[in-house]
Amino acid sequence: MDDLPVRPPAGLPPLAPGWTEHKAPSGHMYYYNRDTGKSTYTRPIADFHSFHQPSSAFPPPSAPSGAFANADLFNPLTTAPNFNPLTQQAPIHHGGFPPQSFPRGGGHHRGGPRGGQNNFSDRRRQPEDRPKHRNDIPSCAPWVLVKTKLGRRFVWNKDTNESFWKFPLDVVKAVVEFDRMEREKKERRARGDVSEEEDNAMAEVEAQLAAAEEEIQHEIVEVEGDVNMEDDEEYEEVEVTDDEGQEAAQPSKRQRTEEPAEDQPLEMGEDDIAWQLAAMEEDYAEEEEEEEEEEEGLPLTDEDCKALFMELLDDMHINPYTPWDKILDEGTLYDDERYKALPNMKARKECFTEWAKYKVQELKEQKAKQLKKDPRIPYLAFLHLYANPKLYWQEFRRKYKKEPEMKDPKLSDKDKEKLYRDHIKRLGMKQQELKFDLSALLKEQPLGTLNRASTLVTLPTSVLTDIRFISLPASTRDPLVETYISTLPAAPENAAAPGEEEAEAAKKRAEKGRRERALAERERRVREDKRKQERELAYGKGRLRDEEIELERAMRVGKAGLRGQLGSYEGDAQEGAGDGRE
Amino acid sequence: MPPIRTSTRTRKPPPEGFDEIEDTLLEFQNSMKDAENASHEGKKRYETTWPIFQIVHQRSRYIYDLYYEKEAISKTLYDWLLKNGYADAMLIAKWKKQGYEKLCCLRCIQTKETNFKSTCICRVPKDTLKEGKDIQCVSCGCRGCASGD
Repeated sequence: MDDLPVRPPAGLPPLAPGWTEHKAPSGHMYYYNRDTGKSTYTRPIADFHSFHQPSSAFPPPSAPSGAFANADLFNPLTTAPNFNPLTQQAPIHHGGFPPQSFPRGGGHHRGGPRGGQNNFSDRRRQPEDRPKHRNDIPSCAPWVLVKTKLGRRFVWNKDTNESFWKFPLDVVKAVVEFDRMEREKKERRARGDVSEEEDNAMAEVEAQLAAAEEEIQHEIVEVEGDVNMEDDEEYEEVEVTDDEGQEAAQPSKRQRTEEPAEDQPLEMGEDDIAWQLAAMEEDYAEEEEEEEEEEEGLPLTDEDCKALFMELLDDMHINPYTPWDKILDEGTLYDDERYKALPNMKARKECFTEWAKYKVQELKEQKAKQLKKDPRIPYLAFLHLYANPKLYWQEFRRKYKKEPEMKDPKLSDKDKEKLYRDHIKRLGMKQQELKFDLSALLKEQPLGTLNRASTLVTLPTSVLTDIRFISLPASTRDPLVETYISTLPAAPENAAAPGEEEAEAAKKRAEKGRRERALAERERRVREDKRKQERELAYGKGRLRDEEIELERAMRVGKAGLRGQLGSYEGDAQEGAGDGRE
Repeated sequence: MPPIRTSTRTRKPPPEGFDEIEDTLLEFQNSMKDAENASHEGKKRYETTWPIFQIVHQRSRYIYDLYYEKEAISKTLYDWLLKNGYADAMLIAKWKKQGYEKLCCLRCIQTKETNFKSTCICRVPKDTLKEGKDIQCVSCGCRGCASGD
């Protein structure tokens, strides 16, 4: 139902300019125009047929012409160019489904659009109507036959978005043909009769319809595309005719199939047997439909399953370097639904290996992208803080041997010693010389690495690894560096293109969503199958019991002997008759 | 007397990528220590060495997988690991041979040490064994390591 007209929010179109909405003390809404000083109960709407158009009163196709005489006042549609008074077609041009008040069935309201005063009471009396389900009219392409909740029908043109209560001439034929087909189908389906009260059945059917509609709308939001066929099926399954009087005879099929035969009275009448036959047929029909649905549902391919499992691994933040056995021992994976996406352990292990391979590659790339941190940087920073000309290298090393910078194996002891000695030597130099060295070092840096955008934290590696950088104490060095940076021009532009990456990410997300939906779909199907099986089981049990009862009856040999038996077989209800005849 | 130069002072750092697998290897190391110190009470004499063999197998397998299957570690690191005894190079050498892909330990294919000059029972494929027979080999506690299983 992808192109069913969307209901307007809160069911009301926007007000015409100049009008304001108010609430009367009695609780009714009314509308006031400040410019003209008029007030009305009818809602003035702001669409192209402008002013006083009461939204709740749409011209009924079967309204008597007398009603139209006074309707002209309120309904500008009569002057609309595409309105044909002969066929009395009422074009409805908005996307929404407006009709709220029009003749129902045999028609106790033959009103059509009324004056503002009786309109609200009318609205209150009439239950709100809305489209319930829709059928494509065969051999009449863009037209769609829509049935409303109250069982009325109108046709709607998908292409032009027009809808009419009165069918246009060319559509009428197609609709008649369609009705005939529907009736035949119905007759085929509903062999049996229901002994239920109409109201009850209708209420239930309506509830089911509402549920189905909700579900469908849900699906529309989530999955666009190939669900349409499935929806149609669902609609056909719970058919409601608009033919008055037949509604009572229409069995509420779903409900019946869901009720197992257990509730049946022990005595089996002919009606009951017919009923059961119908139920059986129903089951078969449903089975077929479900099979079709299975084919049309979201497919879950092997690749999807794998991807789901990989997503699970991703989401659990599993280290790709851990062995598979250990992951299983931890047992974090079992709780997730996606764990069951793959059928067996072997597949899971393979999938894990594949994922780990891919993930490790990714990590490696990330690492390569990251600037390799020079081991000298932390060491020099450490020296900058702790180096002291009073300590020899050996003393210094002994004093700080527990520090991670001193233990770092990436920088050999020789290098450490050399750096320390150089640094100590430079500490003895004059302040002026050190400052000069520092500025020389900073000037050496290319503009690409050191520019106005850089800060003390983001200095280039070449600066940080230079011994000249740490010779001055931080209190004098940092302002110097900052002032130098502030004199630099901005960095040369390197336009990066993050747009592509974003698109890629969005694509990935969409794919992920699709897979998750597919998994949910599969689970739903499994549940449905299970339910069906249970139902069949209950049904089988019911039949078994019936047979048992029958057997028991057959075994009950009265005084009449064989004659009594024969008598009881002749008629179902003549159990006592055998005795009576004797 | 000059100070003795210990290996810690001249230690070369392990190759790149060792930090990623270090934790897992430490775990193996710890479980190995536990297995070494575990009590032998209630065990048969030949059972006492089974956990050692199993851990050696697991650890070797882990490194083998990392290098050959997942290609997660570099050649230099792999060689370094073998050289430092993290994995059994001889066992890995067997895994590369057809028919030995899942070999549990080297003793199980040592025909000279068995009474009938044949391989261990765990080398026999499951379908050639008697139906429902549960075996566990004496040398390493393997329950079957034929490639076809």
